Amino acid sequence: MTVTRTPARHDRAGTRSARRGGVFRPASARAVTARVLALGLIIGVALWAAAPLVASGNWTGVAITALATGAALYAYLTPRRLPLKYLLPTTFLLLAFQVFPVVHTMSLALSNAGDGHLGTKQEAIAAIETSSVRREPGSAEFRLTVAVKDDALVFLLADPAKGAAYAGTADGLRRIGGVTLGPGGRITAAEGYTVLTTAQASARGTEITALAVPVKGGAIRSQGLTRAYQGRAALAYDAACDCVTGQGTTWRADEEQGRFVAADGSALPQGWKVGVGLSNLAAALTNPKINAHVASVFAWNLFYAVAVVALTAALGVAGALVFHHPRMRGVRFYRTLIVLPYAMPAFAMLLVWRDLFNTDFGLINRLFGLHTDWLGTPLTARLSVLLVQLWLGFPYMFLVATGALQTIPAEYMEAAQVDGASAWQRFGKVTLPLLLLALAPLLVSSFAFNFNNFNGIFLVTSGGPFPSDDPTAGATDLLITYTFRLAFGQEGARYGLASAMSIYVYLIVAVISIIGFRRTRAFKEVT
Amino acid sequence: MRVVAWRHAAAVLITAFAVLPIVFVVSAALNPVGTLSSSGLLPRGAGFGNLVRLVEETPFWTWYRNSVVVSGLTAVLAVAVSALAAYAFSRFRFAGRRAGLVTLLVIQAFPQFLAIVPLYVIFSAISDNWPVFGLNSVWGVVLLYVGGQVGVNTWLIKGFFDSIPTELDDAMRIDGCTHNQAFVRVVLPLAAPVLAISALLVFIATINEFLIASVFLTGDDARTLAVGLFGLLADQRNANFGMFAAGTLLTAVPTVLVFQFLQRYIVHGLTAGAVKG
Amino acid sequence: MPALGLAMCLALTACGGGGGGGTANGGADGDAPSSAAPAASPAGSAAATLTIWADQKRSETLKPFAEAFAKENGVTADIVVVAQNQQQTFVTASQAGKGPDVLVGAHDWIGNLVQNGLIDPIQMTQDQLAGYVDVARKAVTYDGQVYGVPYAVENLALFRNTGLAPEAPKTFDELVATGQKLKAAGKVKEIVGYPISQQNGQSGDTYHMYPLYTSGGGHLFGAKPDGDPDPADMGVGTPESIAAFERIAALGEKGAGALKRSFTSDNAAAMFTDGRTAFLVAGPWRLADARAAGVKYDVTPVPPFKGGEPARGFVGVQAFFVAAKGRNRALAQEFVTNTLASPEVAQALFDAEPRMPALKTALAYASGKDPDVAKFEAAARDGVPLPAIPQMVAVWGPFNNLIHAVVKGEPVEPAVKAAGKAITEQLGKTG
Repeated sequence: MTVTRTPARHDRAGTRSARRGGVFRPASARAVTARVLALGLIIGVALWAAAPLVASGNWTGVAITALATGAALYAYLTPRRLPLKYLLPTTFLLLAFQVFPVVHTMSLALSNAGDGHLGTKQEAIAAIETSSVRREPGSAEFRLTVAVKDDALVFLLADPAKGAAYAGTADGLRRIGGVTLGPGGRITAAEGYTVLTTAQASARGTEITALAVPVKGGAIRSQGLTRAYQGRAALAYDAACDCVTGQGTTWRADEEQGRFVAADGSALPQGWKVGVGLSNLAAALTNPKINAHVASVFAWNLFYAVAVVALTAALGVAGALVFHHPRMRGVRFYRTLIVLPYAMPAFAMLLVWRDLFNTDFGLINRLFGLHTDWLGTPLTARLSVLLVQLWLGFPYMFLVATGALQTIPAEYMEAAQVDGASAWQRFGKVTLPLLLLALAPLLVSSFAFNFNNFNGIFLVTSGGPFPSDDPTAGATDLLITYTFRLAFGQEGARYGLASAMSIYVYLIVAVISIIGFRRTRAFKEVT
Repeated sequence: MRVVAWRHAAAVLITAFAVLPIVFVVSAALNPVGTLSSSGLLPRGAGFGNLVRLVEETPFWTWYRNSVVVSGLTAVLAVAVSALAAYAFSRFRFAGRRAGLVTLLVIQAFPQFLAIVPLYVIFSAISDNWPVFGLNSVWGVVLLYVGGQVGVNTWLIKGFFDSIPTELDDAMRIDGCTHNQAFVRVVLPLAAPVLAISALLVFIATINEFLIASVFLTGDDARTLAVGLFGLLADQRNANFGMFAAGTLLTAVPTVLVFQFLQRYIVHGLTAGAVKG
Repeated sequence: MPALGLAMCLALTACGGGGGGGTANGGADGDAPSSAAPAASPAGSAAATLTIWADQKRSETLKPFAEAFAKENGVTADIVVVAQNQQQTFVTASQAGKGPDVLVGAHDWIGNLVQNGLIDPIQMTQDQLAGYVDVARKAVTYDGQVYGVPYAVENLALFRNTGLAPEAPKTFDELVATGQKLKAAGKVKEIVGYPISQQNGQSGDTYHMYPLYTSGGGHLFGAKPDGDPDPADMGVGTPESIAAFERIAALGEKGAGALKRSFTSDNAAAMFTDGRTAFLVAGPWRLADARAAGVKYDVTPVPPFKGGEPARGFVGVQAFFVAAKGRNRALAQEFVTNTLASPEVAQALFDAEPRMPALKTALAYASGKDPDVAKFEAAARDGVPLPAIPQMVAVWGPFNNLIHAVVKGEPVEPAVKAAGKAITEQLGKTG
């Protein structure tokens, strides 16, 4: 009513008053002080934020900081542009913690990122070579002492079996004399060398791990900081052919798959991340393994989200209305108890509910003397997950509806009463529309949440029960749990595919949300 | 009177539905055998052993303190930031307003388990430059939570601002007040109920949040209740459900206290509106 | 009042500007410079910090050892409790350069961590390796290379209430017969506490079902010459696997009623400790419960089917790993191979939780202290290490669902074939 007609008028008023503030009214002393404070604060924060970025040469970071600072200065120092003053904190927070993750995920969808393909090719090569080093069977174990000579790293090696001492560098191994042996046969001092303490040595840990002292038939490498062993790298990368060779096989780099592949098609486990263009996005649409069940899962998913929203809203509003009466007593007590389901950690309560549904030992069957296999048949499993979500979600709606009821001006009700409207008419014509006005965006957001309510399904039914002849899609599967199982298995992750599929799920949610939104009064108000 | 009796009957039904599963948790908390036996409401040899062990064997009070600090800070900041944004959306007309509102709503529908990797990328960068807000810092996670909460709370608060007649702030401005003053002196006091409810909702959502906290708050002193308690269940073959249930119940205590405290504003809003309106 | 108070304070500052100035920045950078962070512990660049990730219990036990090591070597040690999703969190954090130096975890992570290049091999001498029990040594060996220092072994066994069933059953059929007799006599409510469903979710529990499946003649993966499981030889869907599941189905809900989907590891244990069943299939993690409840019990290997193969349960091995992307790889190797591999650590870990130690000397110590350790060791003799190959990812889901279908009483053959097909398809994708 009032809301729909105010905006236009309000708009003009707002702009006018802003201008008046800036132009006609001379800035008061307080205003100047505030502006100087704001300037100081923004600059101070900007400098604090920029210092480490400049120090580490992170120019992208500096640019972002400069941009943000510019926006803040612009917003808070000009007397105009009033809305931005109120919106800037929200904007910053959303960009950093909501928009960036979405964009990042979308970029992953264009790659093969996932277990076995997380890092760069360089990292993969390093991992392949490191893990191929085998200890020479029966070779000596050396006592290692890390030392330096002219700041170059040296391994002082004692062979207790032979009673010999050596100095090893990247150039090779050399026998040395004049050493002092400590407990355990380690060299504690040697002429011409400075022995490093553990702390000093660990500071140069990367060099120590990388140092291989070449000897006949392999190299001596460190094992920790006090032992060394002779071993041989079975695999080596050769930049000339862009391949890994060893053990009589050659694995050639395949830049499309992001792994080293041998002639017989077998590949080394360590791969790297490569761009795959739109193939993940295409696979999600065209691969029959992936899209076989999408239609049925989607239908249930939609029903689930709508039903949860409707049920929780109905029970929440009903509860709020029950207490919305001047003569009602004990309201605080009731309210506190009703909010409890929402106050308990949701994941814990989902596990509890799952146990309540247990056929033989669950409280529900015992209380009512039943022997229903609640989570074992499609229909009862679906009822069960709805009931659980109703329990978890209605206190939220109850709270919001309670708050909304308080703000409905009493005059409206009185006016309606004077007009002789019955209780039901008052509810239908006055209370409900006003409630919905306040609740509408929350209903949409609750829909969006429940459409992707991963825990609500996964912790209770894991998507089951599954038809025995096809264990890929279960009766209570949502798109998100179905996606999760396809893309993640139980522990392995395929981020690329998961991202591609989640983009589709996300688009569906967004489209439905916007459509649902247009149909509410809230959107009319926005228009 | 008959009307009230009917209301009480309905209230008891709804309350029973809400409370019954929690009674079951209470029984698990009192059950000396650390499993959720699911068999009945009265365990054999009930006692407070789980509670005592929880307090003695785990840094329970550290978790508790962290949770209350994180949730309290998040609630305050999220409501403050959301109220500002809501005011702009409710009282100004500007280019991109509608798009902004829709974005706020839609952006939150993104599945969270996928967001962990990019969030880690952000926090890793933040840790390198500003460790105060980085990994294992309560402050960083508070900001992250606030970022996750502003969207829906902006909407919630905006809805209520819309229902406060603009004539009221118009009147203020005719008296020579600025937008800011109108916001602070008229809109905010009238919106006390929704601010209280928003704060409560954020508090609850944050204190129960697990996924993000388990990844970003792993340090010994930084863990929250949700993460700490789940640690008791983490070894799935050796779940200590008794201690876990006891901890779960204690987790609800601050929430209930906050709710008790805020209830008065929820009701207060009604009378304030009546007097000033 | 605090919530409202602050909202108003922020807004008041905005108002003070008289239509312009003030800052209403309650967000990202507003309160940054003044606030000290209580929980932040920026890594000091002066001394190296050895970071160790462990679960709650292990972190408590390892703390004194890590601190002693740190003190002795002039570095600092930081033990971080990672409560859940340890493997995933480790992968994410390591990839971002924020992972630990040492990770405490389960051996079946090895395949995945190696393909991601996130753990380093540990070069132990033959003598050192010989100090570990066979199954532990096999478990941490992957692709011919040792990737972890094992410290504990876990496996399933049969708990028996000796008051109700004095004799250990020789076969699983005998066990069921005894259970049925006790149930008919009204002494127990359930034939056997056999966890069929996973604790975390309404699906089957491959881990607990594996002894019966192998005893019925089934297998998951064949073995490669080097002992690693061979993904090319996948056994689900073969006639042997169908036969195995037929025997399981005969004990299921439409058969003898011994195996039911309503059993989880939790309620099966509660059933046993309450004396409502005479048998329980569980691991050493249930010893504490059984003792606390004061049940008279004995532990024996899970019996095989009559005329069947031995019941080969999965053996899980707990181990220490050195992170390949840690900042102190050399120091971490030193700590893992010299400190954590010591018998003192193994004994302390055993004292904290009675799991069979992997180190032979510690095992002797544990067996002396606790007779049940030797019983679990005997039960582990037929066991196989839980496959550590990344391809296991493809197995869990379909196999879990298959267990549910069979125990529920669905036709066995199509269910097994469907699961085999699903696994093969997933393998194609993973491989």
